[in-house]
Amino acid sequence: MTGTEKSIGEINKRIEDGSVRVVTADRMSEIVSELGTEEAAKEVDVVTTGTFGPMCSSGVFINFGHAEPPIKMQRVWLNDVEAHTGIAAVDAYLGAAQLSEDKRMEYGGGYVIEDLVAGKPIEVKALGYGTDCYPRKELETTITLEDLNQAVMLNPRNSAQRHEVATNSTDKTLYTYMGTLLPSYRNANYCGAGALSPLFNDPDFETIGVGTRIFLCGASGYVAGAGTQHSPVNNFGTLMVAGNVKEMNVEFLKGASFYGYGVTLYVGIGIPIPVLNERIAKKTGINDADIVTEVLDYGVSRRERPVLRKVTYEELKSGLIEIEGKEVPASPLSSFFMAKKVAEELKSEIEVGKFLLSLPVERLPTDTVCKPMKQTKELPLVKDVMIREVKTISERASIADAAKLIMEAQFTHVPVISKESKLVGIVTAWDISTAVAKRHEGLAEIMTRAVITADSEEPLELVIRKLERYNISALPVIDGDRRVIGMVTSDEISKLVGKRKRWQWKLRI
Amino acid sequence: MKLLLRRFSTHLHDTPYTAEVILETGAKINIDRANVDAVRADLIIDVPKDKVERVAELFREKGLEVKKLMKLIAWDETRCVHCGACISVCPTGVFKFDSSWNICVDDEKCVRCEVCVKACPLGALACVE
Repeated sequence: MTGTEKSIGEINKRIEDGSVRVVTADRMSEIVSELGTEEAAKEVDVVTTGTFGPMCSSGVFINFGHAEPPIKMQRVWLNDVEAHTGIAAVDAYLGAAQLSEDKRMEYGGGYVIEDLVAGKPIEVKALGYGTDCYPRKELETTITLEDLNQAVMLNPRNSAQRHEVATNSTDKTLYTYMGTLLPSYRNANYCGAGALSPLFNDPDFETIGVGTRIFLCGASGYVAGAGTQHSPVNNFGTLMVAGNVKEMNVEFLKGASFYGYGVTLYVGIGIPIPVLNERIAKKTGINDADIVTEVLDYGVSRRERPVLRKVTYEELKSGLIEIEGKEVPASPLSSFFMAKKVAEELKSEIEVGKFLLSLPVERLPTDTVCKPMKQTKELPLVKDVMIREVKTISERASIADAAKLIMEAQFTHVPVISKESKLVGIVTAWDISTAVAKRHEGLAEIMTRAVITADSEEPLELVIRKLERYNISALPVIDGDRRVIGMVTSDEISKLVGKRKRWQWKLRI
Repeated sequence: MKLLLRRFSTHLHDTPYTAEVILETGAKINIDRANVDAVRADLIIDVPKDKVERVAELFREKGLEVKKLMKLIAWDETRCVHCGACISVCPTGVFKFDSSWNICVDDEKCVRCEVCVKACPLGALACVE
């Protein structure tokens, strides 16, 4: 053992006798650059990290206690938000992202969890199917957190090591889980706590592993294991964490709603990192300039979104990043202020001897990657369903020409093309009627110029979304030169979708 | 100073009342926002402080309701977690971080476009009269 090495036992002894030296992770970056790693390892015993951001993959296991007469809850709602059953009679899992049946995106699982922690009364409704042992079929009651036997937060994926930055190339505002994304790269949103982030301070999972004691929303919680989609190979490590909701503090968890996307829960997580040696000191010395992530175009609603550039947290935190030669305002969706507060809170709990450190009982895997879904029953691509025999009309044509074409071809939508055969507009039967009523002459006067189009390789699901979003019933399929190569209509899609075997959701028992 | 002008009656429809007030007072007025529907028209105008009283009086004489907007955007500090979702979407730079990453609100810059109201995940922002 060299002079800089210490054991977890030694550090815990220092916590107990009050001589422990704790710093927050942002301060550690400064200490390492001022003193070097050797001195930093001698000077500092514990580095506290913190993060506070929206984490959808969160929820609470609840045990309600048995009713009289007893019920086996087949479905259960808390304040009109459904919790998952399918486990024992009065156990349920309330997911943070579940929407309210009635208020939809304005209330949901995350809010119920916050209301529980705040001690507010919660309306419970449950349905059962009735058995010899659980005869009851319906139940209504009002409970508070105190009345529950257990309320255990178990979050399958929290504290992601890295987050992507979201921006939007399209000409429409997008409402996403990465917040409001204005058109034409007018803004960029990001997440994560940068140098304060737990997993960036222990990127090789030396001290953060199964059983590591952590700060979870004000309570003392634990790392339950690797989080879902844990992908340390790509610096996308994640944690599954657990903690007792009854010990949580409402300051460190908040229900929230992203407009147009849905409900989530802001979760505060702090992880202490014992500085056992110089190597760990060096890693905790990480600063915002060392942490790199990618800017993605959310205008492309595909799993693989185009990467526009790489960027550091230092640049992100400056509030402006450059995208394609443009200065773009960037702001976070997670809170640096609260992340620091979490790290400070954890620091003071350790300093007063309330929080002892633990080493993992098992290391987390460092070689897993997140696979895409295996899909065996797919909707076809646009090219598989598009009508190929499309009648087009020249932009110099008259209204009468268009009327004749629509009547003969039995199409309600006719793409309008330039003399170079490029798509320049679209006219519908409705447009023609309007034109006749208003005595317009030329097609160019009445056609819609901003045409919503599809690509032949696009999955049909995306086209269905376009039809719904823009409230249209057909759109032209174009090639790279804007030449019309087909049409997709809602009629064709309905025929196809109707043939699919669909799940019949049981809405009421 | 921002004023909220509201007209209900349609008889003012053809009157260039804003132009008339500008010409009569010489006030350099900026129209921040105009919402017109079948029932009413709401205008938010920015008026230099020294001319506010006169401008308000003239609009009232012309039959419009005039209200001084003391608060352009209501910020519920108890709900705010200081994330920053409001910053990048605001076209006029109302929101900023201070050195400890607390949100600061510069109310006077607000043009009440309400983009931040939707963008705030905590529901901590609202446009009030």
